[in-house]
Amino acid sequence: MTPAYPVVKPSHVAGVVKVEMSLLNSREEIEWYQIELFDLNWTNIPFASSYRIINIGYKERKSFDVYIRKSDMDEAVYLCTTSKVRKTSKSRTLVSSRICSRLDGEPA
Amino acid sequence: MKYLVTALSLFALPALANVPITGTVEAKCVIQTTKDGVYGNPIASKLSTTPADGGVLPVIRFDVSLADSYTANITHPTSFSTSPTLNDTVAWTGSTSVTQTSVAGMSAYEAAKVVVENTTIFDLTLAGSTWFSTASSATYGSSKPFVGGVYTALVQASCIAK
Repeated sequence: MTPAYPVVKPSHVAGVVKVEMSLLNSREEIEWYQIELFDLNWTNIPFASSYRIINIGYKERKSFDVYIRKSDMDEAVYLCTTSKVRKTSKSRTLVSSRICSRLDGEPA
Repeated sequence: MKYLVTALSLFALPALANVPITGTVEAKCVIQTTKDGVYGNPIASKLSTTPADGGVLPVIRFDVSLADSYTANITHPTSFSTSPTLNDTVAWTGSTSVTQTSVAGMSAYEAAKVVVENTTIFDLTLAGSTWFSTASSATYGSSKPFVGGVYTALVQASCIAK
């Protein structure tokens, strides 16, 4: 998921800002990714988007906007996409991958 | 006239134009599963991904485009995501290690890793690819045999911008 440090832009709704993100699926066995927003302690923060869970094919790229209340921006830190794994009929480990961008800016 | 044409042709330069190609390298992290993990069942009460126990270690590859932009946080399982009904407790152990690197300097990741409960954190200070493997072992309470069925557990691999 890119960018790692998204630019927060004004949206068409008063009191709401927007970040523009792009997601590339590089895992052949994964078709679905969930968007989540967290504070520094990994507590969920509310947001709006056209998708909560994105269906995306292997090597496909999708763009999406995430809308966040301005009042939540002091708390919002991690914007993440997490892969959703399928049930399997073999005894095995499954790998759930999560990529997180930071909304509080690049490290100094 | 012949000499004039020859002289003019010496000054006839081909049309040249400079076409700039621009690009941006931005921080980016890609996670891929190189190998799926499989639980072996060396004794009735144990499930393990360790090859010595008949299992297969899952291998996860992290590609980062810019140095010092991300941490890799890998969490080994502490519960089954699917299993038959179990009436006793399951004792979990696990660990994550660097198994392969694309840059020699990344071998230092292993010594510098930080383990917090069941999560191992690697500071990805160099650009390139790193392969991690996660060992996971589950032992059923009081050495009881595991109930027959399919057992799956989830390894959480996170790439978090610093």
